[in-house]
Amino acid sequence: MIPCCLVLLILAHFGCDSGTDKLPDSKESFDRRAMLQHWADQIIIPSYEHYNSKVTVLHVSTDQFTSSPSIENLMALRTAWKEAYLAWQWVSMYEIGKAEAINFRNFTNIFPTNTEGITKNIKSGNYNLELPSKFAEQGLPALDYLINGLGKDDQVVVNILGSVDYANYLTDLTSRLSNLSNEVLSDWKGGFRDRYIENSGSSGTSSVDKTVNDFMYDYEKFLRAGKIGIPAGVFSGSPIPKAVEARFSPGFSKELFLENLKASQDFFNGIAFGKDGEGVSLKSYLDHLGTEKDGAKLSDLINGQFDKSRETSGLVDSDFAKQVHQDNTQMLKLYDELQKNVILIKVDMMQALNIAVDYVDADGD
Amino acid sequence: MFKQSITNSFILLSAAALSMASCDTKSKEPTTLTTVEAPETYTFTRDGKSTVSFSGQTDRIQMSEELTAAMKANGGATETSLLEMFRNQKADGSDASPFTSESLNSSSKSIKEKVAASKDYYSSNTTESAAIKKQLEDWVKAQATDVFPNWQVLAKSGVAGQIADGDKTRYVSGSGFEYNQLVGKGLIGSLMLDQIANNYLSAVVLDEGTNRTDNENGVVGEGKNYTNMEHKWDEAYGYVFGNSPNPENPLANIEADDDFLNKYLRSVDGDSDFAGIAKEVFDAFKLGRAAIVAGDYELRDQQANIIRERLSKVVGIRAVYYLQKGKEQIEAGNRTGAFHSLSEGVGFTLSLRFTRNPATNSPYLPSQEILAFVEALTKGNGFWEVSPELLGQMSGRIASQFGFTEAQVTN
Repeated sequence: MIPCCLVLLILAHFGCDSGTDKLPDSKESFDRRAMLQHWADQIIIPSYEHYNSKVTVLHVSTDQFTSSPSIENLMALRTAWKEAYLAWQWVSMYEIGKAEAINFRNFTNIFPTNTEGITKNIKSGNYNLELPSKFAEQGLPALDYLINGLGKDDQVVVNILGSVDYANYLTDLTSRLSNLSNEVLSDWKGGFRDRYIENSGSSGTSSVDKTVNDFMYDYEKFLRAGKIGIPAGVFSGSPIPKAVEARFSPGFSKELFLENLKASQDFFNGIAFGKDGEGVSLKSYLDHLGTEKDGAKLSDLINGQFDKSRETSGLVDSDFAKQVHQDNTQMLKLYDELQKNVILIKVDMMQALNIAVDYVDADGD
Repeated sequence: MFKQSITNSFILLSAAALSMASCDTKSKEPTTLTTVEAPETYTFTRDGKSTVSFSGQTDRIQMSEELTAAMKANGGATETSLLEMFRNQKADGSDASPFTSESLNSSSKSIKEKVAASKDYYSSNTTESAAIKKQLEDWVKAQATDVFPNWQVLAKSGVAGQIADGDKTRYVSGSGFEYNQLVGKGLIGSLMLDQIANNYLSAVVLDEGTNRTDNENGVVGEGKNYTNMEHKWDEAYGYVFGNSPNPENPLANIEADDDFLNKYLRSVDGDSDFAGIAKEVFDAFKLGRAAIVAGDYELRDQQANIIRERLSKVVGIRAVYYLQKGKEQIEAGNRTGAFHSLSEGVGFTLSLRFTRNPATNSPYLPSQEILAFVEALTKGNGFWEVSPELLGQMSGRIASQFGFTEAQVTN
């Protein structure tokens, strides 16, 4: 269904002389509702279904391990965890609706994990994982510690992790991730999807505004800062190798970074989950408005920066902690490339789309 | 870094005085200046030795820091120990050592004695003074009795415990109050601003007894190097800049020196709508102090009014900022996320009671209205039920009384 105004613009366009200026389009003539529908049906829900299936496998692997602790079952558990963690990179940014209400991301991926807190919980057997104070004692990073961080020797890990208290905690963590994921996915499929699409206006609480803000926030805070900036010491003065994602799985942090980068860029380009080919998206929205910067299409500049960041990461070791130790400059270079897109997206793109940034740095206590 | 304000002519005087590094008074030679020049830094001496002293104010700022930190941390503090920090004495009136800092423990000062204790506002209003002190103590106590026991509980309406604020954990009462914020922001007005605007900068206090003639004749206090009037003024200064590592030039470093007036003066200064306000306060303190040395009391009182107006505005701006922020968060569907902002908002709203409008010599809103605001914000289920409309009405009223707009504050 093409809105009437869009038809007129198309007709008017064909009536124009070929050449320089685009027709002045107001942002209302862009079909935000169609974009929301594409996002919901082709990107967000499929991404959640993918994550949900991986986190279910993770929980099943946990059961297999705890009922029969062995190196073989530990390997399977590790693989399941990695797959879940990669799948998570595709949903981390959609902290809206039920996910927002239940603090989904905070319960899933706060790192560095609090290993002392985890050990205390296990020893006491007494813990409430629903508490915000326990964000850093559960989720994928806590699983990293349990599965990969309990010892250098795999048999040692099997022995500890297979013991009753540890096994219980492991089970609680994976079942919780599975439950939270189910809750969010069910909500999307059970009514939120329709409400999300209907809320197609342009207020600060509209779906487009919220989703774009979420996309920006995840890019800034998790991709740029969490994965690269904080470990590289950008905010603290000195590097913090322990702050890398998947700290107990050397080499995995770069895979997660690349997955997050791809998810972010694919969302920008409206690529359906698991497929190629672009659909209606922020890129097409900017192109529709004819948004340019320094003589180039803003969408091209943004994609260019995504590509440049990927290219720059080629110089970074797959083990981010090792890279930080050996030559932090490469991490800083990567950070700088990521930072350039913060300007292009947060300032230029959001201004062009008339979307206000809805998050500020928290007031220091 | 600091934009020059062009609203006051004293800036010209300050500029002219840049060559003077400090202001030195010889004890025996009366100096007459036709134009008072403020020194470049807050440095005043007599016979080559500093006359500036505000240790009591530094003590109380640091005590307030320890108290609010202990309330927030639940690291073993109890109702008793928290009240001892507030009072710096035991319940029976005997000496207490409740602080981690030994110098605070041996200090004879207390927070409580100077809460709602200004000469101008409270010398004949001990009833209200007692009520304000009690209000703060009730909040201090409630943290220990209501919130500490529920440290590992998920909060809901009527149940104290944890709420998530982004990836931070906040600890709130059954009504959603973060008591350390109510107390901390409440002390900004009831202790610090009240003592500055309504006590130490008051002509009643500055000119008490023989202060004027003593000042003119360089008569210093016993064993001291300063006149009474000089000292009173410095004590006002101490409540803004007293915790700075460089109190002679405190704005040279960028970071806040405390979590109270200094911090929020700088926050407001960082808003482009109010840029320059920190320097205006600093310059007025310097010039007023130089005026005291020069015996120009009219100039002194003009500077006092500038300080009153600017610092009161800081409190008004932050009250509106937090009430508006809470309103936005509630309207965006994030009620529990609003509790932190609203807790700060209540503290700053209470602090409005201690503001001083130089035009009226009273607070920027009628005191009964302010106390009614605090009640309206905190009654019933508190922040679990407070309406965004009410928050909007309050912030609109506060903003209009001060003469700024909500948009300027929230940007």
